Amino acid sequence: MNAIKVVLTLIPFIWIIGMVPVVNRVRPIVLGLPFLAFWLVAGIPVTFFCIWGLYNIDSKRNRDS
Amino acid sequence: MTNQIVAIGVILLFVIGATVVGMIPGIRQKMTLEQWAVGGRDFGRLLNWFILAGEIYTAFAFLGGSGWAYARGGPTFYILGYCTLAYVVGYYVLPAMSPMGRRHGLMTQPDLVEHLYESRSLGILTACVGVTFLLPYLQLQLTGLGLIIETCSYGLITRVPAMLMAFTMVAAFVYLSGLKGVATTAAIKDVVMILAVAFFGIYLPIHFFGSVGGMFTALDAAKPGFLTVPGGTKNLDVSWMMSTLVLTSLGFYMWPHLTGNSFSAKNPDVLRHNAVYLPLYQICMLFPMLVGFTALLIIVPALKTPDMAFMALVRQVLPGWALGLVGGAGALACMIPAADLILTTSMLFTRNIFCRTVGRDTTPQFQAKLARVVVLILTVIALALAIYLPNMLVNLLLTGYSGVTQFFPMIVLGLFWKSSTKIASFAGLIVGEFIVFYLILNKLDPLAIWGLHLNAGFVALVVNMAVFVIVSLATRTPAGIERKARAIDGMSSSPAASTTVGTH
Repeated sequence: MNAIKVVLTLIPFIWIIGMVPVVNRVRPIVLGLPFLAFWLVAGIPVTFFCIWGLYNIDSKRNRDS
Repeated sequence: MTNQIVAIGVILLFVIGATVVGMIPGIRQKMTLEQWAVGGRDFGRLLNWFILAGEIYTAFAFLGGSGWAYARGGPTFYILGYCTLAYVVGYYVLPAMSPMGRRHGLMTQPDLVEHLYESRSLGILTACVGVTFLLPYLQLQLTGLGLIIETCSYGLITRVPAMLMAFTMVAAFVYLSGLKGVATTAAIKDVVMILAVAFFGIYLPIHFFGSVGGMFTALDAAKPGFLTVPGGTKNLDVSWMMSTLVLTSLGFYMWPHLTGNSFSAKNPDVLRHNAVYLPLYQICMLFPMLVGFTALLIIVPALKTPDMAFMALVRQVLPGWALGLVGGAGALACMIPAADLILTTSMLFTRNIFCRTVGRDTTPQFQAKLARVVVLILTVIALALAIYLPNMLVNLLLTGYSGVTQFFPMIVLGLFWKSSTKIASFAGLIVGEFIVFYLILNKLDPLAIWGLHLNAGFVALVVNMAVFVIVSLATRTPAGIERKARAIDGMSSSPAASTTVGTH
């Protein structure tokens, strides 16, 4: 498993778990949500793109092999 | 009076409608065990989506999501994070499991364990542990269902008749259609639930505060710090949240019914593709929370049962059809996961406990018939427990997530690490479960240690993992590694590998 896949796999975990101590606050209120909630919700599209990236890497590898 | 009639009408429409849809696959075709248990392994992206996504939006999502927001505040937000991460885990784990299932005729989680470790006793242990944690989870859906229908019918349909009615219908379509029934009804449930929670989650805050941001500003002013961690609780702090996120994201796919569900996929690409899009579904978890937060500001005096927050607010503010919509969606949110749980528990008992011990010489046809009968028996047992002993299983439920996550080293490392051994699995699992039960029964969840508050299951998992790795390294043999490699890569040259699971 190459380095890009490792990074893409780790990013969601760092965003959602690793950053909790830092983002545990109410202000600023973004998109109507308290910051902690906003950050975790933002983790959803971040994860989406990471898994999408993994999927593309694997599809390309399957096509080429 | 009209409010009540409309509400009940809407609820019945959803519940009966879903049941009918669920029964259709079973009426149209006579099913083999494989078609009944794993949908014939031909679910494409859409059906697979509904069956995986659907299982997440249970009574807890509906009642607990808003109840937690109402009572605890900030800690509730862990719910937004753990499923998202679980899909990353799933991206790797599910496409590894599913082809193995197809190749070797695996239908259940213990089947998988038995295959990976060539151990019938480990499979039986896995099945027993699985049933232990599925039963209270099943009973929770049932109790939640009773509460929802009673509240949303303005008390006209009380809990016991509600449970009896709904569960009879669930038993009916599970008996007839198995997993296909679950998947088709899940599709209805998901659509209804998304529409209902999105509508109320956006409408209610706007109705009272002009905007979602307005509601949160008002809440922050009324209860400063409530919207962060630990919010309204004393000990659910940052370390709790982080350890709980780790536990629940790793443990998510360790629930027995999700293994069975993933075996239904047509091919691994279906699972990978859905792993990409399933996270987006998570956003829906925000909506019940918004309702719970709004309820906190609006409902006076404070509710005794936080889980009622969603329904209480709607009942206070909107007419009968709206409450009926909540009731119908909520009922489906309980019934469909309950169906999957009943199906899985029946398969675990029939195939992995009974037919691996006392009933070793049974034919596949007998197994299929028995599994269906067990569905009916289980329904009766669950109903009896829910009606007469509703609190008996609460402790088991609390240990539920922590308990099933202890499967993680055995299954995930078992799928990818050739040195993983049977003895390590026993050791890790037993140690893990012991710690889980010890901590939770002694009210040590979260465990306060070193100034942190750690989720009990997380603690158990760490120890479990360490034990598993150490014991594996100590007990591996070259022959064992080779056998494991064959089990994982599917190149079975020895006849012994195919007689265990595939032919039953």
